[in-house]
Amino acid sequence: MANTKLLGVLAGGVGLLLAAMPALAHHSFAAEYDAAKPVTLKGTVTKVEWMNPHARFYIDVKDDSGTVTNWEFELGSPNGLMRAGWTRNSLKQGDEVSVSGSLAKDGSHLANARSVTLADGKKVFAASSENENKQ
Amino acid sequence: MKRQSHLIVTGAALLGSLSLLSVPAAAQGRGPQQGGPDYLGGCVAGTPDPPAANAGAGRGAGAGRGGAGNAAIGRGRGRGAQADPAPAPRLPDNKEAYGVNAGKPDFGGLAKGMWNVPYIVNMATQGTNPDGTTPIVVPCNAQAVKIFQVRQDNKMKDDPEGFCLPPGVPRMMYTPYPTEIFQLPDRILFIYEGGAHVWRIIWMDGRELPKDPNPNFLGYSVGHWEGDTLVVNSVGFNTETWLDAAGHPHGEQMKVTEKFTRPNMNTLRLEATIDDPEYYTKPWTVVTTATWRQGQELMEYICQENNRDLGHIGAERGK
Repeated sequence: MANTKLLGVLAGGVGLLLAAMPALAHHSFAAEYDAAKPVTLKGTVTKVEWMNPHARFYIDVKDDSGTVTNWEFELGSPNGLMRAGWTRNSLKQGDEVSVSGSLAKDGSHLANARSVTLADGKKVFAASSENENKQ
Repeated sequence: MKRQSHLIVTGAALLGSLSLLSVPAAAQGRGPQQGGPDYLGGCVAGTPDPPAANAGAGRGAGAGRGGAGNAAIGRGRGRGAQADPAPAPRLPDNKEAYGVNAGKPDFGGLAKGMWNVPYIVNMATQGTNPDGTTPIVVPCNAQAVKIFQVRQDNKMKDDPEGFCLPPGVPRMMYTPYPTEIFQLPDRILFIYEGGAHVWRIIWMDGRELPKDPNPNFLGYSVGHWEGDTLVVNSVGFNTETWLDAAGHPHGEQMKVTEKFTRPNMNTLRLEATIDDPEYYTKPWTVVTTATWRQGQELMEYICQENNRDLGHIGAERGK
């Protein structure tokens, strides 16, 4: 029974891939991120934190000179992502991804992820707290 | 009497803040769905009548707001919010089992499902007046305008909810986290997934509100039925919460009256009236709606688990 239910949720989630599903934000988006500073980065996932209040993941990004920088991306809450059909295994360490989002205002290597695309073109985590608290 | 002195002060503040009015109305653009911090109209007394177009766009703010995400979340699980909704269910007319709630609208406790709570950043622009129009003209006094504008200027960085503290009342119904409502014979219990994963009791046993309640986040609440409307009166709030993420303030003397109805199967309507002479020249009312999600369940949400935003935001408690 649990399996049927899970399948139902996953099947439903597929339709959501590109939907701008509002995620659950518990803090001010504008205080932390700058929607006017979009960023797109490609790299390798080094860690996924499937925790409240926001799921987060980290990627190593190599620049033209070969220097590697670790970037942190914030998503919606795990519950919001799970209701949209994602799981804690949707994105894994070692995945090659392209991430678009908004940069943090404090200049740290942090951004709010708006869309995450795997190397094969598949989108994951089409959710962002930005959608809910737009400036 | 105290009100009148506030009224005079507000008149002065109103004139001083009129310059802010034109910006918000124009900046609305897509209407109340954009409750961004550049919108200052929510706490400027004397906002002129909204343009017709704006009022129209805002008509469905409560439901529509959640709609964007809710439609997606609720897909494939029974009827959608837009389908012709069934009438609201009722509790069995059995006094022994259901006490004061017998025969009254069932707010969902007997079913498997949950209420999808909208994310209301700014009550004034995302809620509606009782007649469905927007924006709400919030009768802020000078002090409220000052505080609200400081919070807006700070991009709402000090919002207590960012600290994983309970959002307060009525804001528990403005967080984007779902809730369930259980009607016991002599009380009604709300359990909330988020904000702060807390619960709230509405006493329905006829008791009076306490005279000198210990101030806390969700206050002290008593309720009664007026026909099919659950009326909840609450006092005893601390000042650790903002009324909304936009930063509408409140004081310890705030009284909140909530009228809950379930006009149909899918809709929980909340008409909340804020009465707080410390910050507002008269009581004001906000209507929002939550949407029923048949078959969905609450999940654990411990906000404190990994709350790493505060450092980046530079948030401070008690602002």
